[in-house]
Amino acid sequence: MGAEVITVSTDTKFVQLAWQREEKMLKDVKYPMGADPTGKLSRMFGVYDEATGLALRGTFIISPEGKLLNSEVNFYNMGRNIDELMRKFKANLHLAKHVAEGCPAKWKEEGDKTLAPSPKMVGKVYEAYEEK
Amino acid sequence: MSEICCGLKVGQDVPDFKLDTFEPTKGDFGEISLETLKADKKWTILFFYPAAFTFV
Repeated sequence: MGAEVITVSTDTKFVQLAWQREEKMLKDVKYPMGADPTGKLSRMFGVYDEATGLALRGTFIISPEGKLLNSEVNFYNMGRNIDELMRKFKANLHLAKHVAEGCPAKWKEEGDKTLAPSPKMVGKVYEAYEEK
Repeated sequence: MSEICCGLKVGQDVPDFKLDTFEPTKGDFGEISLETLKADKKWTILFFYPAAFTFV
């Protein structure tokens, strides 16, 4: 998909090895599994839960320049949807190449309408969006 | 207290970090650093989850 995906938990790398080998759901996992047993990285991203020592379900997209561009944190009981993540990632790729544009709410993939903010668009976003 | 507190915000530069990893494709342990990822001009997606042996 053009990005280095790293899964991270506060488990040690030994536990992650054991889990990946034991759990059949993970037999096709190819992503590196990062170990953050001290919680240092989890704290850096604000997902460390001091009460349990666990990391909340946070997803973060970092640009090749090292800038944090997207941040999403779910509570323990909600899983994440890969389509939601892919939309954000594709939008980032587009915007990195077209810095004057913005990807509006309905933008889903390359080729969809983008908007370039300008004085004449003020109050006329609907017209700008609907014109072909 | 941790030396890094409170959580990065969108738009901020991420400080360099290193992680020990288990790499399923190699069946071996490894190490990843943001410095290396930046040098390789790679996008990075960090995907935190609470614990091994739970659902993701």
